[in-house]
Amino acid sequence: MSSEKISSLKSNKNITIFLRDQRVLLGLIIIVIVIITSILNKNFLNPQNVMSLLQQIAVAGILTMSMAMLMLSGGIDLSIGNIMIMSGCVMSVLISGGQTTLASGATANDINAVQGYTSVPTAIIIGMLVATAAGALNGLIVAKSKCIPLIITLGMSSVYYGTALIITGGKFHSFMLAFEGLRVAKIANVIPVMLIVFFAMVIIAFILINRTKFGRRIMAIGGNEEVAFLSGIKVDRYKIITYTISGFYCGIGAIIYAARLNSITAGGGAGYELNALTACVVGGITFAGGTGSIIGAFLGVFFMGLINNVMNILSINSYYQTMISGLIVVIAVILSNLNQLRRR
Amino acid sequence: MNGFSNNPVVRMEKIVKTFYGVPALNNMTLDLYEGEVHCLVGENGAGKSTLMKVLSGAYSPDSGYIEVYGKRYTHMTAELSYKLGINIVYQENLLVPEMSVFENVCIGQEISSKCGFVSFSQEQKKTKDLCEYLGLHLDIKKTVDKLSVAEQQYVKIIKALSTNPKILIMDEPTSMFNVEDAKLVLDMVKRIAKSGVSIIYISHFLKEVIQIADRITVIRDGAPIRTYNNSNQEANIDKIVNDMVGRPVSVFYKREEHEIGEVVFEVKDLVVEHNGRPINFNIRKGEIMGFAGMVGSGRTEIANTIVGARKKYDGKIFLNGKELNINGPSDSIKHRIGYITEDRQRSGLMLEATVVDNLTVVGLQTKIKGFFVNIKKLIPTVSNIIKTLNIKISSPLQLVKNLSGGNQQKVVLGKWLFTECDLYIFDEPTRGIDVNAKSEFYKIISDLAAQGKVIMMISSDMPELISMSDRVIVLRKGRIVKTLERSEISENSIIRYALEVNKDE
Repeated sequence: MSSEKISSLKSNKNITIFLRDQRVLLGLIIIVIVIITSILNKNFLNPQNVMSLLQQIAVAGILTMSMAMLMLSGGIDLSIGNIMIMSGCVMSVLISGGQTTLASGATANDINAVQGYTSVPTAIIIGMLVATAAGALNGLIVAKSKCIPLIITLGMSSVYYGTALIITGGKFHSFMLAFEGLRVAKIANVIPVMLIVFFAMVIIAFILINRTKFGRRIMAIGGNEEVAFLSGIKVDRYKIITYTISGFYCGIGAIIYAARLNSITAGGGAGYELNALTACVVGGITFAGGTGSIIGAFLGVFFMGLINNVMNILSINSYYQTMISGLIVVIAVILSNLNQLRRR
Repeated sequence: MNGFSNNPVVRMEKIVKTFYGVPALNNMTLDLYEGEVHCLVGENGAGKSTLMKVLSGAYSPDSGYIEVYGKRYTHMTAELSYKLGINIVYQENLLVPEMSVFENVCIGQEISSKCGFVSFSQEQKKTKDLCEYLGLHLDIKKTVDKLSVAEQQYVKIIKALSTNPKILIMDEPTSMFNVEDAKLVLDMVKRIAKSGVSIIYISHFLKEVIQIADRITVIRDGAPIRTYNNSNQEANIDKIVNDMVGRPVSVFYKREEHEIGEVVFEVKDLVVEHNGRPINFNIRKGEIMGFAGMVGSGRTEIANTIVGARKKYDGKIFLNGKELNINGPSDSIKHRIGYITEDRQRSGLMLEATVVDNLTVVGLQTKIKGFFVNIKKLIPTVSNIIKTLNIKISSPLQLVKNLSGGNQQKVVLGKWLFTECDLYIFDEPTRGIDVNAKSEFYKIISDLAAQGKVIMMISSDMPELISMSDRVIVLRKGRIVKTLERSEISENSIIRYALEVNKDE
């Protein structure tokens, strides 16, 4: 074989490898969707629509980061939606003192009334502690029992949902517009602070995974737990830490949730964990752990949000929307599995 | 005893099978006559099991052919071999523990009643008949997990017989048995053969082989060495042992000699399993201690216990005059013990991760300080290792799964070189890698010894043990049977102690 042929073969191979990277593929698909939609609808690329799209995915995005870190370490947590809700319920009950009537449409008088109850910073700290502790508890059980995290956290999900029901008495609770400041705050009048929080959580997750010993160790555990153990990594300890960080992320998610909706009910967390899981898988993280990336997960959640946004803009019936998003997930998973199939 | 007909039932001719360029079978030829017990003997990795997998259809040979009842096939499939009446009793356990004996026997060939439902009574009758035929007293309604290891082995044999095989392959059927149980199996084998079933019997226990074989074939390095007639138990064990081991001088690696120092590593009364025998040995500075023994002789268990990956029941470990308190690999790494494990896919590598990730995974605990770490910045620090070990990669960020076996094995070693140890434990360091990579490995291991490191080398590769080791510890059934000094090390001496053929035992 001539050297020219070899080098052309090699560059061909590089292109296929490049295209097989799910992040690249997903990025390309996103760009195509954006171009097509912006041709169909002039308002699509309007900064306001872009910002609102990003705000819509902020809560799901933060939970996706939490799920991504867990899945990279070979774990999973199906209770993150309910951890977030439980934490949010704790905050709202502390702030409103259990007032249930003012779910929406609160006035300035109501906001002043808030001062009579637990101060907002205290409520936030307690809510964050609850979320972090719930994550730590999951981690402790998973690491020490050596049981499948899928089942353990499925059970714990009901525990946290039940706790939220008990705290709220099953009713809607208001945050008394305590997070209204966060909702409207913008930097330079353009970028919402909520988005800054969201991006900060993405960047922190990225740095944790890619630039710290902690991240390299949990990636090793996800890659091959036996190897990690024999390489002197204290596997149990790192699993617990990962779940704890995930719990902390759920707490941050609860704050954004509160700011966006100003009211909460125990049932509000349903589906968040599955959306996060979907975004991770679409973004190229495998169930086995050790492969995939935070960037991929971010693209995954962005893609899912984009699809919803586009379908809204194209005013597709919401029943069809549900069906279409489901199909997209199935197709994405099959595509990401093609490499595996090819190898066999 | 058996009047053999002229035509063999099975004839395997010039079978060649290579894995990643490493030949496992090299022009292997074997025939089997009706009603005979044909025993295959050879060291670990001689190719016995591979040959049987070719016959049962699990592997297809690269070349050569298989003749069954005079009909020629280029390869078998599982379905075809089953149809031809070939059945195999595997070494490992393939029973469903929660099911009863008779259910296990009839899995896949359930007997239905007229209505189409499974008929337990008929299944029980069939199993009971087979038990009686073999002279076994088994409670066939018991679930398999409540049976002893020996009884489970019987169930496997019954299960194989229930398909009415014409050709039965038995792979180490007595390896975990005591003498009486083994005798029962041997009687069973003879009885089955008498009924006209042809049996290929693989075993490490030469005494046992002499008792039951009609013919014995010695296999070495994937080729048949000699076939002995043994219809009157006349085969000579000494000759068989010599055939198993006689290799040309050219296969031995020549290593440079160096000074060996004082004893620096000592294992005292180490107990690796419940009620196990205590193990004692020591290794000197710069010495390579070989660990020989058959599969299951307990070598890997000792290594696992030393590094803390397995529970230690008793005993003390000293390195450089200090007693080590090891509760897990994180401790043994702190004490500068490196463990290059046997199965690189399972316990050596993160296959989906990059070369750098793999090379630094131990270093994360030892060498790399601080909280933040950037993998790309570590590339220069590992490039030295990549160069020393001559690991062939397109980039340090290449995924390990895309490397050849030899290069993967070098990565496994590299991660321990990166962290710098005093004691290196190698478990089958060159399994499944090609000849060139092998000699590179030997060079690296002897260099480590020359630097004054302590080397523990578990190996089933005879030439490797002999050419590399300063001393060899031979294990059998979890205990040290002999420590061979440099001058005593030979294929013959190792195999004798490992196989229990010496009279003084």
